[in-house]
Amino acid sequence: MRNPVYTAIAIGVGIVVLLGYFLQFDLLINLRIILLEWATILVATTLLIGVVNLFIVHWRKSTTDQPNRVNSIALLAGLTITLGVAGWFGPTDPYSLWIFNYILIPIEASLMGILSVVLIYAGVRLLRRKPNLLSIVFIATAVVILLMTGPLFGIDIPGLAELRIWIGKVPAVAGARGILLGVSLGIIAAGLRILMGADRPYGGN
Amino acid sequence: MNLADWIGAFLGFVLTLLVFSYLIGDNPLFRITLHMFIGVSAGFVAVVAIYNIILPRLFVPIFINNSSQQILSLFPLILAGLLFSKISPRFAFIGNLPMSYLVGVSAAAAIGGAVTGTLIPQVLASMNLFAVQSNQAFDASVGLRLVNGIIILIGTVATLAYFQFGKYSQASEKTQFQTWIDGLGQIGQVFIALTFGFLFAGILSAALTALIGRVLFLVDFIRDILGLLIG
Repeated sequence: MRNPVYTAIAIGVGIVVLLGYFLQFDLLINLRIILLEWATILVATTLLIGVVNLFIVHWRKSTTDQPNRVNSIALLAGLTITLGVAGWFGPTDPYSLWIFNYILIPIEASLMGILSVVLIYAGVRLLRRKPNLLSIVFIATAVVILLMTGPLFGIDIPGLAELRIWIGKVPAVAGARGILLGVSLGIIAAGLRILMGADRPYGGN
Repeated sequence: MNLADWIGAFLGFVLTLLVFSYLIGDNPLFRITLHMFIGVSAGFVAVVAIYNIILPRLFVPIFINNSSQQILSLFPLILAGLLFSKISPRFAFIGNLPMSYLVGVSAAAAIGGAVTGTLIPQVLASMNLFAVQSNQAFDASVGLRLVNGIIILIGTVATLAYFQFGKYSQASEKTQFQTWIDGLGQIGQVFIALTFGFLFAGILSAALTALIGRVLFLVDFIRDILGLLIG
């Protein structure tokens, strides 16, 4: 059963916000700001709901006899301690920053570090599995850019620096611009479908 | 360094080694570290959301002696309360009302952002490539700029043509238009490969920098510990 109330709310507030972007009337602009402010609060609330859900799911996993329950216990320990410390003292307190500096940053930076190994491995695998024109262009571009990113033991390959600059300023810009335009056209199409009631991803079927 | 810093550095050292253990293969210690990371991140994000958005924007206005602000802040309070019903599958339907509001506003904000933030600036930037002053002498630099502009224009159009997901007719033979679009799309693929190669190199550089930073941290920590032990 379709619920027209939900659809009417989505379309109504959506049109008001959209008009606030393109028509310079004070009333519309103020309404847009208020509606966006409320939406920001709701986004933060959905985030909290997500965290609560994460806690519930892993609590269930850790209390039942599951093979990977130790992972859930580690997650719950991290979540509870952080919520307790940062929630009580505030996110910018030295105790909270200690967790941030000595737990979050080392793991984040190390994950970023192993990403380099994974990326190099993926690049080599790409050339071995699919040695076609596109993968060769992809890897060759990456190699040229990487070669000229840092000093190459004092070796100066003539034309390579100019080629790197040209790739960054011309073909890479063209591809990025095409991708950006494609993405924004896709966003506009998806947004308009919601504002016309064709898509109802909020339980309105 | 004080004791808290030493404990923190030791913890960072152990966590770095646990994450690096993935390089010899997926293992339980790596997965435990990853789960702990998810828990700590989720906790931090929740606290930041509470301190920076929920408290100042939702609860503080209620306690201000301004009746219009108090009434205005009641609406998001009710909507946020209704949203919490999404946690229970039985009462999840109550949360559809704030969800419809959120989806409507987000769709409009996305359209507004895409038009004013991407579509118009990118189209203007493409047009500016061919902006030659009428009193400007046509020399090699202007010619080179125009050639580059033409390459960028062809690349942009070709890339867009590759993302043309229109449905072809059921006819067995392609129309001339479809053949053109397919051909342009193949050129577009080369430009996309070049762009992704460029981005790949940038991400790889950043990842290598992070790797070097962590390895240096490990070396420095071992050196500090040895220095402390040996004196």
